Amino acid sequence: MMIAYDVDYYNPTTIEEATQLFHRLVEEGKKPVYYAGGTEIITLARSERLDLDAIINIKSIHECLLAYSDENEITLGAALSLTQVIKTNFFPLLNQTIAQIADQTSRNQITLGGNICGDIFYREAALPFLITESKAVIANRTGIKEYPFKSIFNQKLQLSNEDLLVQLKVKKNEVNFPFYTVKKRKQWDVGYPLITVAAVKKKEQLKVAFSGLCNFPFHDVNIDKRINDPSLTAKERLDGVLNALSSPVLSDVHGSMDYRHFVLKNLLQEVVDAFKGAKT
Amino acid sequence: MTWNIGKSIKRKDAIEKVHGTAKYTADYISPNMLHVKLVTSPHAHARIIKIDISEAEQVEGIQAILLGEPFPLTGDEIQDRPILAFGKVRYQGEPVAVVVAKENYQAKQAANLIKVTYEPLEVIHSPEEAIQSHAKLIHEKLANYKKSDNVYPEPDSNIANRVKIRKGDIKQGWTESDIIIEEEFTIPPSDHLSIETRTVTLEIKRSGEVHMTSSTQAPYRIKEKMSEYFNLEIGNIIVTAPFIGGGFGGKVAIHLELIAYLASKAVGGKPVKLHYTREEDMMTAPGRIGLKAKVKLGARKDGTLTAAKILYLFDSGAYADKSTLLVKAAAATCTGPYKIDHISCDSLAIYTNRPYATAYRGFSHSEILFAFERTMDILAAKLKIDPLSFREKNIILPGHTTPTQVPLNNSSIGNLPACIKKLKEQMNWHEGTFKKIENDIIRVKGISCSWKTSTIGPDASSGVSLLFNPDGSINILSGIVEIGMGAKTTLAQLLAEKMQMDVNKIYIQMEVNTQSTPEHYKTAASRGTLMAGRALLKAADDAMNQLKTIAAQVLICSPDDLEIANEKIYLRDEPETAIPVKEVCYGYKYPNGYTIGGQVIGRGTYSLRQLTNLDKETGIGKTGPEYTVGAQGVEIEFNIKDFTYKIINAYSVIDAGKILNMKTALGQITGGMAMGLNYASGETLLFDDDGLIQNPRIRTYGSFRYGNHPNYIVDFLETPHIDGPFGARGIGESGLIGMPAALANGLSLAINVNLHQLPLTPEQIWKAVKNDDRL
Repeated sequence: MMIAYDVDYYNPTTIEEATQLFHRLVEEGKKPVYYAGGTEIITLARSERLDLDAIINIKSIHECLLAYSDENEITLGAALSLTQVIKTNFFPLLNQTIAQIADQTSRNQITLGGNICGDIFYREAALPFLITESKAVIANRTGIKEYPFKSIFNQKLQLSNEDLLVQLKVKKNEVNFPFYTVKKRKQWDVGYPLITVAAVKKKEQLKVAFSGLCNFPFHDVNIDKRINDPSLTAKERLDGVLNALSSPVLSDVHGSMDYRHFVLKNLLQEVVDAFKGAKT
Repeated sequence: MTWNIGKSIKRKDAIEKVHGTAKYTADYISPNMLHVKLVTSPHAHARIIKIDISEAEQVEGIQAILLGEPFPLTGDEIQDRPILAFGKVRYQGEPVAVVVAKENYQAKQAANLIKVTYEPLEVIHSPEEAIQSHAKLIHEKLANYKKSDNVYPEPDSNIANRVKIRKGDIKQGWTESDIIIEEEFTIPPSDHLSIETRTVTLEIKRSGEVHMTSSTQAPYRIKEKMSEYFNLEIGNIIVTAPFIGGGFGGKVAIHLELIAYLASKAVGGKPVKLHYTREEDMMTAPGRIGLKAKVKLGARKDGTLTAAKILYLFDSGAYADKSTLLVKAAAATCTGPYKIDHISCDSLAIYTNRPYATAYRGFSHSEILFAFERTMDILAAKLKIDPLSFREKNIILPGHTTPTQVPLNNSSIGNLPACIKKLKEQMNWHEGTFKKIENDIIRVKGISCSWKTSTIGPDASSGVSLLFNPDGSINILSGIVEIGMGAKTTLAQLLAEKMQMDVNKIYIQMEVNTQSTPEHYKTAASRGTLMAGRALLKAADDAMNQLKTIAAQVLICSPDDLEIANEKIYLRDEPETAIPVKEVCYGYKYPNGYTIGGQVIGRGTYSLRQLTNLDKETGIGKTGPEYTVGAQGVEIEFNIKDFTYKIINAYSVIDAGKILNMKTALGQITGGMAMGLNYASGETLLFDDDGLIQNPRIRTYGSFRYGNHPNYIVDFLETPHIDGPFGARGIGESGLIGMPAALANGLSLAINVNLHQLPLTPEQIWKAVKNDDRL
């Protein structure tokens, strides 16, 4: 697990300290990264696929580790491990989606924010936030701001260079809608997705978000329309979704494009069937 | 009376391993040890134009940078491989340069700064491509390579070896056939994926002694080969093999030891360490061979097999290494365990631009059984005969001859009919092989038979020393490397049985040191128990004779009158006249101080006997002493809508000859089954159009995780191999070799389409269904 180049390590305890530090390092010509679980940073750095020279650990920052539910919303710190998030049991759709990421040992390490902000493009933890009324709490040296999650997530979280994802928030009533999430893999039940979907039914309409279908996760209302059209056959639904896609379907080590089409067709049917009779 | 045989004696290495204190090669470091890092080829086939090391040399701590030289060339039967690529690279991951530095990170930094300019060459992806007449040559100088006498590379081609089997008259065979089918199969190469990646530490002493510790299954072969390659005195090469974290054949290859030697030599003999990353272990070090097979099989209407014409095109990758022997093993057992009078088989080792192949548990048997046993199922279906009944009708039996025309007897072939009978009971075969469970879910069964013998050198031998301690306990020294199979514990059991003593008073040297441990050829080919076991029994006889000789003087009798048991030497007809072993095993001391004898040291060696090379034109000859036969099966729950499946149960009935330790025997078979199912269902190296590996990491390689395993149901038969210790046969590979075929047979039944390619991912099955021209 060796990283061959020198890396400075910082362990700030406040958001202000962290963001100021990040800024200072950039000014000094350094290439800092925020660091939480480290699974991806270590993986990429040891194989020379990540260029960095400073690590700012955010796991000592109180706000990044909070998990609470008040009258209106649920707040989850970006530096919570997936295992910790699952234990809160605040957001069942999120729980089920992230419980399918990697394996137990890795989930103890991978963080909610890290999965959403990572370079490895599946970012499955983002799916539940894309289809619910959610917010991302983002800090930089000018202060802390909240953004509607979908407004700031396009393929990945649209952070500027110095931004730190602090928390994720979801409206409380949103977590009670009927939901369905499923991950299809190349083989067996651990590993990257062939396709992962997360879906909720709100006001009799399905909202479906995808990972693994293209080289970024997404939710697209035009695709929802196709899925929600009860007059379509499975084949028509698939064609409709494929036509509405803004980017080509992946063809990679997990599966060819043609095979993903086949899996997607079954998957769409599975999602539609899962909600039959569900009241919203 | 059985003292120990068959009992699940706790492994002698168990305590250290469960506490995590067992040491493996990478655990050994010394303060002044230097670190070695490789620069490897990013191309599958390319000419090396220029290597610029100027920047790398500036890195702090750099001690040496080494580049390829034309000699020595290395290899098993054909010496075709430079230690570092010279002139061109033939596979992605091939070592091109070596950096030696004080710190590991410095070595890695410098390695990253070495700039190699390549001119890419046409990449040969498969054995079929490689044997086209216009195919680019991977080894232009194949004809000039040094080779052993029994390997037949074809100059100006990519063929490294061809083994022919000609038995009976194939034309007559076709005339006798009512039905003939021909099928093609493909198995891509894959990796061993041992948990311990390959590692070596090496130091050249001022005296000229070369000391190394290596994660190797073949420490004695390292000694032999390094002496040859580097013109060293063989006695000066001292190899230590500590615990090995999984070998599976992959650590038979001699590979990074050679690099470490050059690295140490370049820095004046200082100790160096080379520890492969997972990526290097999967790409740079050799892996499992790939296969393209064509099997043409004829039968009479009643289901009697008449003729087999077989073409096995093995994908050796860039260098020959063990491939030349793998194709020999494949040829020798080319038909599976069936009686066929007319056989024509060509088994070829073919160079491609894939990572090169070496031994892999099963030694080409799982690959050819996949092809042959699939063909058997297809033929059975055509004949409308139950697949197991079809096999029962054609089983090879005592009195028959093998494809290499060796006559068989009970001892050599065992009892496959009884294995099949037992498998039928285990799998409730009478209930049928296809059952609907719910809407989209069906349950299917698939089976395969298997046989395996060894193909190691006709002169292979094993030695054992027994050293007594003053309390009458015994130390066993054997050159078997403990690669995880528990063979050394079995040796202790054999000795306890032979000496009729408590197994807890037998100690075993776990670590092998080639200077002090008697040689065991190599820890491979399921030969540990037979060879080291027989050597040990001989050593025990030797020790017992020595004990009796001394005791006879004390008890005033002939040594012939004495027996040994319970750590006592006693008169056969008067057991109360006895002397404890401990009073004799370090010499007997009379009350006045006179002493006779000294420490008792037993010694024994065993060589495989009357094995031959195979005739070049007919394949007549004998490769191994005995066969281990088995019948295996799987039960699968299959989703007919999305082609996903779950293996519910996996079965093996193996004729083990004699079970020496039940738990380790079960462990061997179960572990082998898991490995076979793994590579049949998911594990594979994926290559892109440039021949580059797309998944050299565990996370994308496709292995089982905890919880993916089926129930393993293992049963044994005990038809003694008369030559084996207490009748035992080799069982290290038998769990694996029938599994890919059984899985493919079950899945083919599930979709009613014949599957011809591994690994059997849902996508592969979907493709087969989609391409089925009947739809």
